Amino acid sequence: MSGLPTGSKAALGTAVLAIVVGIAAMAVSPVFGSAVAARLWLVEPLAVVGAGVTAAGLIAAALALLLARRGSSSGDDATTRQLWSQLTQHYFDVFGHDMGRPIRRILGKEREVRARLAEGQKPVDSAVKELLDEIEQQAPSFRLMVSNIQVLVQLEDEGARPQTEPVAPAQVVRNVVDRYVGIGRDRGVNLSWWSEPAEFGLEYCDAAAVDHIVTNLVDNAVRYATGHVEVRLTRNPTHFFIRVWDDGPGIPGHFVPHIFDRGWTPEVASRQERTTSGLGLYIARTLARRSGGELTVDSDASTDPGHHTAFTLALPRANPNHASGNR
Amino acid sequence: MYLAPICGARPEGPLLYAGCQNLIISTAVARFNLIEAGTVLSVREKILIVDDEAGSDLMNSVRRKLDREGFETVVVQPQSRLATGDDFETEALIAIESVRPSAVLLDVRFGDHPDDQFKGLGILGKIIEKAPNLPVLMFTQYARGPHRDTAAAGSLKFSSSVDFIDKLASPDEVALRLRRLIGRTPEHIQIGEELLIDGGAAIVYALRGGQKTPIRSVQGMKFAILLELANAWYKSPGELVPFWKLERFSEGEDSRASLRVRVREIKDALGEALGKKFGPEDLIVNVRNRGYVLVVPR
Repeated sequence: MSGLPTGSKAALGTAVLAIVVGIAAMAVSPVFGSAVAARLWLVEPLAVVGAGVTAAGLIAAALALLLARRGSSSGDDATTRQLWSQLTQHYFDVFGHDMGRPIRRILGKEREVRARLAEGQKPVDSAVKELLDEIEQQAPSFRLMVSNIQVLVQLEDEGARPQTEPVAPAQVVRNVVDRYVGIGRDRGVNLSWWSEPAEFGLEYCDAAAVDHIVTNLVDNAVRYATGHVEVRLTRNPTHFFIRVWDDGPGIPGHFVPHIFDRGWTPEVASRQERTTSGLGLYIARTLARRSGGELTVDSDASTDPGHHTAFTLALPRANPNHASGNR
Repeated sequence: MYLAPICGARPEGPLLYAGCQNLIISTAVARFNLIEAGTVLSVREKILIVDDEAGSDLMNSVRRKLDREGFETVVVQPQSRLATGDDFETEALIAIESVRPSAVLLDVRFGDHPDDQFKGLGILGKIIEKAPNLPVLMFTQYARGPHRDTAAAGSLKFSSSVDFIDKLASPDEVALRLRRLIGRTPEHIQIGEELLIDGGAAIVYALRGGQKTPIRSVQGMKFAILLELANAWYKSPGELVPFWKLERFSEGEDSRASLRVRVREIKDALGEALGKKFGPEDLIVNVRNRGYVLVVPR
């Protein structure tokens, strides 16, 4: 019984006790019971009760053993799943690293060509410039896509828990804005951000998850903004919030319930070729919830100048007393 | 040890070599119209590059960017063609003594040998032993996953200015991260292609048609406001400067109204010098009762 789960052990113990009591009842029935008929002590009521208890005990014991075997089997399944998940993560890490090499080579060559053209003093064909710009602009998309798939693989591991550590959310936002300020400039979009209070200090959370969520939100905002993206970092006594706002055309109301669905993009609804994987917002919300927080959206798709979309990430301040001690 | 010429192979500029203490700005740098959004430094901050792929096209693009930003890049390259991570470590430590860099750009992985897979972390430890306050930017492909965790955990063992950046980061992003790690703002800050702020002389220049023309009407508090915004932009583009940081440069009972007037005057003066009209969403943007943010003119 040592290999059985605790619940099964208790059920099996009770069943064995019932069998013992039932047999004992049958055994003593000729002594204590009153015979219904001569030599028919087996039908004496105590014997009948004893037989019933024994039978129930046997059935219960069989069921307990069956359930215990099933439980053990599902435990094995969970362990197998976890091992597979870890193996997949390992393979993808190796794959992601190796996949980076050709991309780095392509990017390096593109930048080399750009530099030589700039030194050449000759006017550059607009088609060539457009091609080089396209390669350069795909780099952050590729970087985010690899990162998204890595996170997706990690999310398959049900046993994985957020890695909570002291994090400066303002630094996370600053780094993400650094990444997109140049891309925004190329697309005619200004990025601005601020925190309230200005000296935001530390929070206890999963740094990689926050960075990944904010990256996806800012990537999304820069993609759809008309001219401005604003990132705001605030907090209350229980949560801190990162709000990413853009002045894009907004999300039509009938699309809003689907935007966090895995693989959904506006192109899916209109049966067009997808320009993104549709994983970013799904992963962002999954990560937010896994960290005990939430990701919500507020959008105005009207034709007024006020149209916008704002995603708000709310994360719990897990250990505010400890965190304030580190500020 | 081979120390690469800091101006790369620019044919128009004199070659300057690492180790020179009294640096003269190269012709390429002095020709301000060749400089991108960034800085011109009278004494260039040195960046030591420790990477077994330092000669790759990708790293060359980073070096070009840093050069345009006014940094001086020095590449550590062991002479042996079969250099191991240990060779890079030795040469890096020698270079730190001889070059005295302001920051180090350090790879994590040196080749495919298991011993060198995280060699950069070992080198980081040695650098910090030797120069505890030297900022180090780890340049790695381990953006996520257990390798990233291993790399990050290794760096957290050391209490220093250490940061990580993905190898697929743009040269702009690398330059920005180094600016912040170094933490100093230079005397000259160039904003976009057409404005140069000389903090030492308290003059703003318009850069047009190869000419550098001082804009005399931006002086005193107006210059101080512009310099405050430019300093913030240099370290963290897009980050808002709150009103409370700027109101000390305004006068009167309604300091925000005074500030608004001064900002308007700055934009008008710069716009006039550049032949442009800066609207509410250009150059210096007011963010809904929070503050101002400087935006590079398009």
